Amino acid sequence: MPAFLLFGSTFMQQNHFEIFGLPVSYAVDRQALAKRYRELQQEFHPDRFAAKSEREQMLSMQYAAQINEANNTLKDPVARAAYLLQLAGVEINPEQTTADGEFLMQQMMLREQLEDVRTAADPEAELDNLGSEAGQLFKAQEAAFASALSANALEEAKSALLKLQFLAKLQRQVEELEEDLLD
Amino acid sequence: MALLQISEPGQTPEPHQRKRAVGIDLGTTNSLVATVRSGSAVPLPADDGRVILPSAVRYTEAGVEVGYGARAAAGEDPYNSLISIKRLMGRGLADIKNFGDQLPYHFAEDTGGMPAIETVAGKVNPVQVSAEILKVLAARGAESLGGPLDGAVITVPAYFDEAQRQATKDAAKLAGLNVLRLLNEPTAAAVAYGLDKQEERGDAADKTIAVYDLGGGTFDISILRLSKGVFEVLSTGGDSALGGDDFDRAVAEWIAEEAGLGTDHDAGEQRKLLNTACAAKEALASEVSVSVSYGGWSAELSREKLAELLDPLIAKTLRACKRALRDADLSAEEVAEVVLVGGSTRTLRVRDKVRDFFGREPHADIDPDQVVAIGAALQADVLVGNKSREDLLLLDVIPLSLGIETMGGLTEKLIHRNTTIPVAKAQEFTTFKDGQTAMAIHVVQGERELVQDCRSLARFELRGIPPMVAGAAHIRVTFQVDADGLLSVTAMEKSSGVQAEITVKPSYGLGDSDITRMLQDSYANAEEDIAARALREAQVEAERTLEAMLVALQENGAELLDEKELEALERGMQALRLAHNGGTPEEIRSRIDELNALSEPFAARRMDESIKRAMQGHSLDEFDKP
Repeated sequence: MPAFLLFGSTFMQQNHFEIFGLPVSYAVDRQALAKRYRELQQEFHPDRFAAKSEREQMLSMQYAAQINEANNTLKDPVARAAYLLQLAGVEINPEQTTADGEFLMQQMMLREQLEDVRTAADPEAELDNLGSEAGQLFKAQEAAFASALSANALEEAKSALLKLQFLAKLQRQVEELEEDLLD
Repeated sequence: MALLQISEPGQTPEPHQRKRAVGIDLGTTNSLVATVRSGSAVPLPADDGRVILPSAVRYTEAGVEVGYGARAAAGEDPYNSLISIKRLMGRGLADIKNFGDQLPYHFAEDTGGMPAIETVAGKVNPVQVSAEILKVLAARGAESLGGPLDGAVITVPAYFDEAQRQATKDAAKLAGLNVLRLLNEPTAAAVAYGLDKQEERGDAADKTIAVYDLGGGTFDISILRLSKGVFEVLSTGGDSALGGDDFDRAVAEWIAEEAGLGTDHDAGEQRKLLNTACAAKEALASEVSVSVSYGGWSAELSREKLAELLDPLIAKTLRACKRALRDADLSAEEVAEVVLVGGSTRTLRVRDKVRDFFGREPHADIDPDQVVAIGAALQADVLVGNKSREDLLLLDVIPLSLGIETMGGLTEKLIHRNTTIPVAKAQEFTTFKDGQTAMAIHVVQGERELVQDCRSLARFELRGIPPMVAGAAHIRVTFQVDADGLLSVTAMEKSSGVQAEITVKPSYGLGDSDITRMLQDSYANAEEDIAARALREAQVEAERTLEAMLVALQENGAELLDEKELEALERGMQALRLAHNGGTPEEIRSRIDELNALSEPFAARRMDESIKRAMQGHSLDEFDKP
C-alpha cells in the first residue's frame, strides 16, 4: 500500500453507507444519496486541488475515486445487495449460482421467450411483456432480500442476491434486444 | 504567524495574484484559445483579428507554418501541408492504413509503432504536429495575458480513448504547456451554456442537457445533469472517426462520379475535390440549390440531394444518441436542453434531424466553433485558482470500458464505460506455474468481447513476484483512471507485500525518453537552449510547489503542525528556494521531492480536516474565507 495511505483518515475505512451518512440498510434514499454525493465531490474532486500540492492532488484523487465507488455501489440494486452481504461477512464466489430448481426452470423459460421474440408477430409488444415480467420478478426478489437481511437470515438473503443477479442479466438482455430491434 | 515571514518577495509569486490560464480547443479542422477577462470568457484573436487558427501545419525547408497559410497550401503542396492531424493522434500505423485513402501523406513507422509522416523537413509524428498548433496558441495566450501561462485546459472529444488522450497530453508537454486538465469537448460546451443560463434565470433546479457535437473529424454525444453548479456526465458516446470531413467526402465522391472522374485521384486532385465539395455544402446552408463545377463539368446540387448524401452519416450519429440516452436511463423527451457544438452542426440537415430526434429546438446561440474553447477557459480559470470556491464542478466519465485480456483472447472488463472518474478498481491475479516470477498483462479498451476487436492500450509485465507454487501468489493489480481520463497501474503481491515492478508500454505512443528526444529535436534548430528550458521548467515547478505550500501553511499550518514540523518544512522550503535561485534542474527537482516528502503528513492532515468539516455537513466556505 502506498505510504501516503498510512496517514489516512477514517475516511478510507468508512463503509460506503457511512461515507454518505446513510443507515446501513437495503432501502436507500436515492435523493439524499445524490445530494450528499455531489456535496462530497464538491470537497474532494481533484479539480478542487488542481492548484494544491502534489500530495494533496494524489489524496484527492483517491478520495474522489472512493466516493465514486461508494456511490456506484449504493446506486446499483445488485451491487448494493452484494455489498451489504459482504459487510455482514458473507462471502460470495462470483461463479456461484442459485440452486433453486424452480427458479432456474422459470429462468430457462424466460430465456426461451426472449429468443423467440425476434420471430414473434409483434416483437415489440412481446419484448415489453417480457421486460415488465422481469421487472416484477426483480422487485419481488429485492423485497425478499431486504426482509431476509433485516431478519439477519443471511443464507436466505444470499439466495435472493443470486436470483437478483440472474434477473439483472435478463433485464440487460431485454434492453440489448430492444436496442437491436430499434436499429 | 511566524511562517508568513519567510516569504521572500520577488522569489515566489504572490499567492493571490491573478493567474494566466487559458482554455484551448485543439480541433480537427480549427483550433482556438480563450481566456476569462473581467468575469467572462473570450476567444483570443491573432494579430489580424481572426480568432480561429486552422489546424493545419506546413513543413517547408525554411521552417514551419501554422494556420491559414498552411491550409491554403494543402491543394498545391499536399504532402507537406498537414491537415486533420487530430485523426491520427494515438493511432498506430495499422490504424492509419484504414484511412490511408483519405489522407494523402507518405507514412513511415516512428517510435513505438506511431505513424510518422515524411515531409521536406524530415519525419514528423502527429504529436509533434499537434504541438506546433499548440505552440502558436500558447504564444497567443501569453502575449495577450502579458506573460508566460500558468496553465491550460485542453479539450478532447469525449469519445477519445486513453491513447488519444495521452497523445494530446504529450503534445501539450512538447509545446511547453502546463496542462491543468484534459476536458471533454461536450462537457466544455455544457459549461459555456449552463453557467450562462444559470446566471440568467438564477434557477437551481436539476436539468438534463444533451450536447450534440459534430466537428470536422469526430462526433460526440454527451448527456449531462446540471444541479447547483455540478455538471454530472451521465453518459457519453460517439465516433472518433466521423465528422464534417466525411460529409465533404460523400459530396466529393458524388462530384467525382457525376463528372466521370473514376475513383482514383492523386493527392492534389482529391484535395481540390474536397474543397469544392466543402464549398458547395457550406453554400447550401443559405441557398436552396447551388451550382457545382469541377474542371469542365458542372451541375446543380440541391438541398434534397445533399440530404440524401448525408443522411446515412447523420443516422450513425443518431444511433449513438440513442445509445447514450439508454446508458443514461433517459428518454429523448426527458432532455430539457439540446446544445449544438462543432462547425458541422451548421449544416441544416443536421439541425433538422437533431430537432426531430429530441423533439425540441436545439440551442446554437453561442458560436459553435467557439463554445468549446469558452467552456475550457471558464474551467481553466477555476482550476488555476483564480476563483477559489466557484460553484462549478465537472464530474465526467470514462467513455469506453477498460479491461484486460484473459485466457482465449477474451476481454474481462474492469471499469465499465460511463463510470464517473476518477476511479480505481483492483483485480487479483495468480501464477500459472510453480516458481513463476513474472506475468504479462495486456490492457485493452472497448466494448467488444474479443480482445482483437478492442483497442490495445498497453502491455506490461509484473516482475519480482516471489517464487511460490502455482496459484499461491496473490497479485493485486489496481487500475486507476484520473480526472483526465488517463490510466495508471500499480501492483502488489499480497502475501509477501512485495510491490511488483510494472512497466507500462503504451501500444502506440511515447515514452518519457521519446518526449525528451523530440524536445531536443525541436530545439536543435532553435535559438532556445535545451538546458535553459530544462532549468526554467524546474524553476516553474519549484515556484508552484512553494506557492502551494505557502497557501497551505497560511490556511492551517499553525493548527495542524507542531513547532518541530513547522521548522522542518521551513527548512525544506528554504532549501528549495536556494536551489531555485542557483541550482541545476536536477538539484531543484531533488529539493522538490524532499519537500513533498516532508509535507506528506501535513497534506494528509489537511485532507482529514476537510473530511471532518464535510462530515459535519459544513461547507468549506465557512472556514476558508478570510
